Amino acid sequence: MTSWDAHAAVDGVWKLESARIVAGLVRMTGDVGLAEEFAQDALLAALERWPESGVPDNPGAWLMAIAKRRAIDHLRRAERLDRKHEQLAHELTTQPDESLDLAPDGDEVGDDVLRLMFISCHPALTTEARLALTLRLVGGLRTEEIARAFLVSETAVAQRIVRAKRTLAARRIPFEVPEGRERAARLSSVLEVIYLVFNEGYAATAGEDLIRPGLCLEALRLGRVLAQLMPGEAEVLGLVALMELQASRAEARTGPEGEPIPLHEQNRGRWDRLLIRRGMTALLQARTAGGPLGPYVLQAAIAVCHAQAATAAGTDWAQIAALYDALFRVLPTPVVQLNRAVAVAMADGPEAGLALADPLLAEPAMRNYHLLPGVRGDLLARLGRSTEARAEFERAAELAQNTPERAILLKRAAACGGRDDAVTLGHAVAAFLDRADLDAGTLRAYRHTMNRMLAHLGAGIPLPEVTAERVAELFAAAWGGAADATWNRHRAAVRSFAAWAARDRGWHTADPAARLGRRHEPRGRTPALDPVFVEALLARPGLALRERTLWTMLYESTATAALALSLDIEDVKSIGGTGGTGGIEDIEDIGDHTRGTLWGPRTAGLLPQLIAGRRRGPLFLADRRPAPARTPPSRDLCPETGRRRLSYERAEYLFKQASHGNTLYQLRLTEPAATRRPSPS
Amino acid sequence: MRFLMTTKGGGPAPDEAMHIEMGKFVEEMTKAGVLLATGGLDPAGTRFTSSGGDLTITDGPFTEAREAIVSFALIEVRSKEEAIELSRRFWQIVGDGVGDMQQVFGPE
Repeated sequence: MTSWDAHAAVDGVWKLESARIVAGLVRMTGDVGLAEEFAQDALLAALERWPESGVPDNPGAWLMAIAKRRAIDHLRRAERLDRKHEQLAHELTTQPDESLDLAPDGDEVGDDVLRLMFISCHPALTTEARLALTLRLVGGLRTEEIARAFLVSETAVAQRIVRAKRTLAARRIPFEVPEGRERAARLSSVLEVIYLVFNEGYAATAGEDLIRPGLCLEALRLGRVLAQLMPGEAEVLGLVALMELQASRAEARTGPEGEPIPLHEQNRGRWDRLLIRRGMTALLQARTAGGPLGPYVLQAAIAVCHAQAATAAGTDWAQIAALYDALFRVLPTPVVQLNRAVAVAMADGPEAGLALADPLLAEPAMRNYHLLPGVRGDLLARLGRSTEARAEFERAAELAQNTPERAILLKRAAACGGRDDAVTLGHAVAAFLDRADLDAGTLRAYRHTMNRMLAHLGAGIPLPEVTAERVAELFAAAWGGAADATWNRHRAAVRSFAAWAARDRGWHTADPAARLGRRHEPRGRTPALDPVFVEALLARPGLALRERTLWTMLYESTATAALALSLDIEDVKSIGGTGGTGGIEDIEDIGDHTRGTLWGPRTAGLLPQLIAGRRRGPLFLADRRPAPARTPPSRDLCPETGRRRLSYERAEYLFKQASHGNTLYQLRLTEPAATRRPSPS
Repeated sequence: MRFLMTTKGGGPAPDEAMHIEMGKFVEEMTKAGVLLATGGLDPAGTRFTSSGGDLTITDGPFTEAREAIVSFALIEVRSKEEAIELSRRFWQIVGDGVGDMQQVFGPE
């Protein structure tokens, strides 16, 4: 080898040839895993020999010949020679070596590559597996190159590929381009994979760099190859056009610090006219191919509108908004809707855009999508609602995973100017949860609701802007499908918060709970037990003390089984028990409130026997000590007996056994017939 | 990364067979998504010489045909080695001659 590294030269040839080689081998062997193995053998042979011999005149045919020979050897060894293989082996071994260099004609090779794309993008595989397998088989990328591109470990990529090959083999996926109705669905899976690769490169979802050009280029290459192999497919050409046009802006998309520059601020002189021209040509070809306008063609048409505008101000937004309307009809996703909102805002003003963007707040899929608050922030800022805009930008920055993007969002938030004096939601919630007059359980429940509100609306939003509409949207998105009791619990939390803020603090609020209706809770969905039945159960002779105590506790109180089982002896002592008959020292009489929550008088009578002189550790213990290998954390171990805490599963099992399949939850719902639970007063 | 490949004049005149071969090669490179643009150039160009604010414009042809660029190809590949491999194939078809390959700065 002369001035360049032989290994790099082999790699160069490999990337150009591997798709065709692997594709040919899959056709021969019918197995993606085997095909790749033989292709790798050929690559190793090249790495071994080319540094000495130099690159052969027709390196692709050389690699293919080696790989085929390996394949034949294998098929013989495995004694899987059916008639076809025998014939193939015969041809290959009786013909002189040079004939191996005769590649099948170009079209046939192309068809194999096309089949390879369809099989590596098969919907039976997970999206991640499709991406990895396609880059590996069709793109010729090494595992470590894929891992680097997606910022995951090499092992993870290798596993995805192995699993994908196994799935393809197990499901006997045929090596073919499907026909008929399946064809369209399978093609859209191929296009999706290519576009995902492109987008991962173009708008890196994570990491320091905004763009990873290697992936964009790879996707462009795959798309261009596919367009040549399927020349009449409008959507393939549409995708190529879209990628060429988006790639044309790659240079102008980031500033000197690596920060993203939005489209309307980009220096259009830095757009790549060559790629724009290629994109427009591909779009024209797509239109010539005919058929209904698909999502990629429409998106490419939108990109062309941008490319044709000499200045941002000269953009034909009315046309773009119309194209987004059409796109939303074929692809009605929240993200398209958001883009449509942006276009409409440009065409008809921010108010109109906001009207399209606001309903997206209720979309669960958009909850963590940073572009929604980003867009809303932008529209609000244009409307002069700077305080709200600021909160939206801050929320967008919280959600953005990409470092440069986060920085620009924070900058925009700061540009919205100082806050007015309104109390923010974050401040109000902190004060609300800091109250001393609420018990721990209530606080925990409130905290859950409040955290959801903060996550959804952002801590920076002024309290008066926490409107009934917004809270209603939050509830619809977060708990719209939840049980009625859950809905009512969260509703109660918001009502309590609103009342406290207005009454105790005198803060101006927008009555956030006004649009939350109370839901009727259907009773008896989980039937409580007949008290007579429970009493009989508890009176059963020979019932173990532990079970009797636990069951009585759940029967008499509102405590959950999980809470009861988590009790330690220290807890019992600090809370104290009434009606104890000895055994527990330091008994203090405490209020009915706590007693009603945790246990009633009958339980209190049983506790001292159960504790029986133990001073620390779990209240309810398992029967045996754990095996050494299964030692639980020390908080679940009794220091005196070495036994572990009784598990929920075991406790549930024992109750089901004794009660003919009823659950501890039902026991908890059951109220003692004679003695009603003491009311807290 | 992009590379600009240029060939210089003075080589043997292309015959029919080479035209066909080259046509196939160009088609294959386009199909592979590698070739972005290509074309032939008139060796008799126009030369600009700017010196101390004076611009001199001279029309060709110039005496040294070997120095004039007569064709170019702009390709997009993943590594320099891929570009070299493609150049090798190109020169297998062309035969004798001289040319250059230079990386075009931009996104890699």
